[in-house]
Amino acid sequence: MFFRKKRNKASLKKTLEQSPPPSQNEIDAEQSQPSTSKSHKDDITTKDLSKGPANNSTARKDDPETISSSTEIFVKDIKKRIHSPADLVIRYVSDTITILYIDNLIKEDILNEKILPNLQNMNEETPMRIQKLLPLPRVTVFDRMNEVIETMLTGAVIIHVAGHNLTTLVIIPAREARSLTSPENESQVIGSQVGFNESLSTNVSLIRRYILNPNLVNEKIKVGKQTNTSLALLYIDGVASEQNINTVRQRLNSLDVRDIIDSAEIAELIDDSSLSLFPQILLTERPDRFCDDLLSGKVGILVDGSSMGILCPYTFIEFFQSREDKNLRWPIATFVRLLRFLAIFISAFFTPLYVATLTFHYEVIPQPLLIPLSESRAKVPFPPILEALFLELIIELLREAGARLPTKIGQTIGIVGGIVLGTAAVDAGITSNILIIIVALCALSAFTTPNYMMGNTVRVLRFPIIILAGFWGYYGIMFAFCMLLIHLLRQSSLGAPYMSPFYPLRLKSLADSIVRLPYPFIIRKSPNARVEDPELSTMQASLKDQKKVKE
Amino acid sequence: MKKLNTFKLPFLLIASVMLLVGCTEPHILERISLATLIGYDLTGEDELTTTAVMRQINPDLESKTLIQSTTSSTSKGGRKKIELATSKEITTGQLRVVLFGEELAKYGLDYRLRTIMMSSEISNAIYLAMVEGDLKSFLESDYKDIPNLGQHIFQLIEHNIEQQNAVSSTVHEISRDDFSRVASYALPILKKEKDDIKISGIALFHKGKIVGTLSAKDAFYIQMVRDNSDNGTMELNLPITTLGDHSLSSSKYLSVALDSIRSKRRITVVDQTLPEFNLTIHLDCRLYEIISNVNIDEAEIIQKLEKEINKKLESEIKRVIQYSQEVNSDIFRFGEYYEAQVRNANMDVEKWSEMYPEMKVNVTVKAKILRDGVFQ
Amino acid sequence: MKKALQVNPTQMFNAPLLLFIICAAQIGVGVHGFQSFIYEHAKKDAWISIIISFLAAHIIVFIIFKILQLYDSNDIYGINLDLFGKYFGNFVNLALITYCGLAYFVIIKNYREVINTWVFPDLSPAFITAILLIIVIYAFTGGLRVIIGICFFSFFLSLFIPIILLFPIEYSRINYLLPILDSDFISILKGAYYMTFTIVGFEIIGTLYPFVKEKKKAQKYVHFALFLTLMFYLFIMFITSTFFSGEQLERTIWATLSLLSIIRLPFLERVEIITICFWMIIILPNLCLYAWSAYRGFIRIIDITEKKFILIFSLLIFIAAFPLQTRIQIEKFNNFFGSVAFYLIFVYPLFLYFIALIKKKMFRKKGGKG
Repeated sequence: MFFRKKRNKASLKKTLEQSPPPSQNEIDAEQSQPSTSKSHKDDITTKDLSKGPANNSTARKDDPETISSSTEIFVKDIKKRIHSPADLVIRYVSDTITILYIDNLIKEDILNEKILPNLQNMNEETPMRIQKLLPLPRVTVFDRMNEVIETMLTGAVIIHVAGHNLTTLVIIPAREARSLTSPENESQVIGSQVGFNESLSTNVSLIRRYILNPNLVNEKIKVGKQTNTSLALLYIDGVASEQNINTVRQRLNSLDVRDIIDSAEIAELIDDSSLSLFPQILLTERPDRFCDDLLSGKVGILVDGSSMGILCPYTFIEFFQSREDKNLRWPIATFVRLLRFLAIFISAFFTPLYVATLTFHYEVIPQPLLIPLSESRAKVPFPPILEALFLELIIELLREAGARLPTKIGQTIGIVGGIVLGTAAVDAGITSNILIIIVALCALSAFTTPNYMMGNTVRVLRFPIIILAGFWGYYGIMFAFCMLLIHLLRQSSLGAPYMSPFYPLRLKSLADSIVRLPYPFIIRKSPNARVEDPELSTMQASLKDQKKVKE
Repeated sequence: MKKLNTFKLPFLLIASVMLLVGCTEPHILERISLATLIGYDLTGEDELTTTAVMRQINPDLESKTLIQSTTSSTSKGGRKKIELATSKEITTGQLRVVLFGEELAKYGLDYRLRTIMMSSEISNAIYLAMVEGDLKSFLESDYKDIPNLGQHIFQLIEHNIEQQNAVSSTVHEISRDDFSRVASYALPILKKEKDDIKISGIALFHKGKIVGTLSAKDAFYIQMVRDNSDNGTMELNLPITTLGDHSLSSSKYLSVALDSIRSKRRITVVDQTLPEFNLTIHLDCRLYEIISNVNIDEAEIIQKLEKEINKKLESEIKRVIQYSQEVNSDIFRFGEYYEAQVRNANMDVEKWSEMYPEMKVNVTVKAKILRDGVFQ
Repeated sequence: MKKALQVNPTQMFNAPLLLFIICAAQIGVGVHGFQSFIYEHAKKDAWISIIISFLAAHIIVFIIFKILQLYDSNDIYGINLDLFGKYFGNFVNLALITYCGLAYFVIIKNYREVINTWVFPDLSPAFITAILLIIVIYAFTGGLRVIIGICFFSFFLSLFIPIILLFPIEYSRINYLLPILDSDFISILKGAYYMTFTIVGFEIIGTLYPFVKEKKKAQKYVHFALFLTLMFYLFIMFITSTFFSGEQLERTIWATLSLLSIIRLPFLERVEIITICFWMIIILPNLCLYAWSAYRGFIRIIDITEKKFILIFSLLIFIAAFPLQTRIQIEKFNNFFGSVAFYLIFVYPLFLYFIALIKKKMFRKKGGKG
């Protein structure tokens, strides 16, 4: 690491001790229950009842209300707190025992088969006894109202026993989730065809399926005052650098937001520079890419309710790599990679070059090209800059319309709009047909970027450059290029330089990011991951064994 | 983030002000007329006739060439006058050829050359040529088969230079010889022939003025002395006795055509005072055509042939050099060799002009026929 | 002696990067037309002048390193202060800062002139200057890391220039280089003197030195960088000398650009127009490094933040750019700058080394007595 940028954004609002990484067993226990997801502090609270909520900024500390021992008051309290919703179910099991839950938030069959019969057969019940007797793994006892409510909302049944200041909560959440489908936005030809869905637990289990390793760490963090969204911070211990993990953890903990719906918001919030046009953190819906990056030393974040995983730190060049590159033979994958780099330049600079050349620098056009170029422009009444902006706008509109409409209609719109508008525009003499080719080429190039976020950036980049080119020709383009270069150099991802491995130059990583090296030479670690263990940083070992077998 | 904003605000402000200030005049491709050829000639005393061949694109999707001419004392003045007669701005960035009329060549080209060199708009790679006769009538006559005169002349000159049928005459090379105190330049001569244009010869200049002409055929000899060539073609008329009595034809000469000629020349100063040069040309070629029914399989005959080719070439080259000495135009740049090989030569224009006609050159040609065709 | 300059370890950079920094700092606007100045004096032996000037540069770099090594980790400004005391030291520092400003100014002026002559005859000079200043401000505020990054990219992106310079070889005549050593030695030295304007840039090491991580390796890379630029300039000089004939070269203002104008590629003509615009990224490291160097000196006199400094600095340059408009003025200014640079870069370090050695000896004697 050659220059450490000062971290001024992730100010330490909370110290690290406040969110200790939970132990491994605990997390695995959670995973064994297929559909549980939101159980963040049950284990902690059973051990230490007297302590208030420790790890959540959303908990209201100004609420010292204890649980009433009287059933009526308790039910009233609950109703008042959650504004007596229509789906609140209250059932009096026996004289003393009352259960409360929110309909459809819990698993009804477990309630019926395991909880109710047990409760009915019970005598001399105390909350502690109920906790011991119920044959379910996640039963806890609370003494604070706010905790009770919070837990209930994640999918728990409250068992209140009259005469006690404590309640037992049985956590049996029923979460509706979409079944696993193939990733739509990051499809690939060869390789696994499964994408993340919106359930955090399913996503974590997907990752566990790829990486059967006890070193895979899964930390829970909650974000959002209103939404209480759970995040899972994932990394592989010993591979991911301690520094990166701490930075991510700090940034997540110091997030001061009201609501979070999707991981993309988190990604933008914990970015090094949120104002930049370029994403510094990757969003992916591919579990295989996610795992691949975890293995190469990155830190991953999964957000409940979002089908996109977050990975950091990322460098500029890695946005243009696809997981599929590793599945293809290396010369072909290299070719594809180089094609993508070329596509960035075509996409950003081709139309501007056309505009600049035709507006100011007619001298540079060779004679054979002069005639077709000028003849195609002859009928066009606008200067090249307007012509280009007009066509680019059409393409953008078509793309946006295609993205918003249902797939089938979207496709039709794309084809019909493209052909009809294109042909008509040329016939009407509004644009030249050479420009149509160039604009289409640029659009096509922008779509080769494997990452959607980066693809958007690459596409939008063109517009300011076209305007600069239309005003000041090559000088304007160079201005844009310099500003772009400086901008990229100024960026960092988790404090690590964004333009690595170009600058600072890391020759080994550079070779691996421009060329897809054959397996024996692949470097596992990503440029900025700073993997300490040299053994984990290469893929070499496995291949050597294979060679021995052959001999 | 707040910090960033406070900094970016003045930044953006300056940028937007700049946007308003820094406007520049565009040259949109189809809204300008591109002069592809400009001709200069002299009429009367000091009046300069400027004729421009321009390409214009009109909305009917056809490009047409426009020829305008006018007289004034400077070329920019001429351009301004032409501008009065055209609907679009005239630009010279796509200029390919500059032609000089015979009258102007007699008067001197120095100022015109300097004007062309001074302009940053005009490339160094455009060709210069001289026109035999009146330039205006040459350009304004109606060539039926030539839709675009400027481009046609450009391609005509370019391909002939590539084939080494004409001396290379880019602005750069001409001005290089012009400024080099010890060399003179040569320009190809264009001539109208019925409905066509052809390269009819080579004009030799001295101090910017035309002093003599050579026929177009001699271009190859000049090229051979000037430079190493790698793809030339030539036809030679050897004496009929070259191959003994085998010849049955009744012609006076034995015609031989050679192609794929690779030549390498070496010039060394033998005597500094006279001065005397040794010029040796090594020539590898292919025998392409021979108007004789002799079997050219035998090594002896090939040797004989080579000997005669050497003789013939030597005499031709000598003739060309002698002519250039007569008119005192050092188009072969012997002066540069002299300067390069003689320490402290301290050459200047006058000194070399005096020395050049006295110069002696010993020409040796060593031709080698490498192969002939596929049939013997 | 004064205590060493405190440099934040996160601001340090690796020694190999000096290779790119020095190369990028040395190659700038001078490349466009340095040939004719040298040719005017050294004629056919212009290339020998170049070699001599680089030999001198090597010696100066050697001496600068000797001075820097006397102090543990301090830059040239700190050394001045230490040797000459607060007032005179600051005066010398001010001279050095002015030199940096002048260099910055000269680069902008020359580039502006080229743009106005070749590409946009009617583009407002103030606008061209402003665009460059904006870019430099943006880069400068990114810190040393970004500036070095620009040097690095500038170095690699400009590698295509030697390649396109191969095209004009078709027209070259070796006779223009012969006979070797035809000019007398004084003329060759004069030619070398006129290289000053083009060769400067390596002096930046005086300011950069405290920021190098491996200080022992630094010198090696600086010398290597000098060697690389020597090769680059020699290559250009060879091509130019064989391409132009004597007087023609003397009359050509921007020989390199004229050289490029003859290239005709199948998809592109008039390569020089693109190259001129591209040159922006080649002069960018020069501008940034000089601005940064001036800043390092300036904070010794007045404590000021980077942003404030660069804004004031840019504003001064912008205003100063107005009076100089014609080519002749610019050329005069170039010559003036050349002589200033000669004394500050090639003469002053020798003097400084001498003083530093004496002071060190005296110090040691005193220390021995005490």
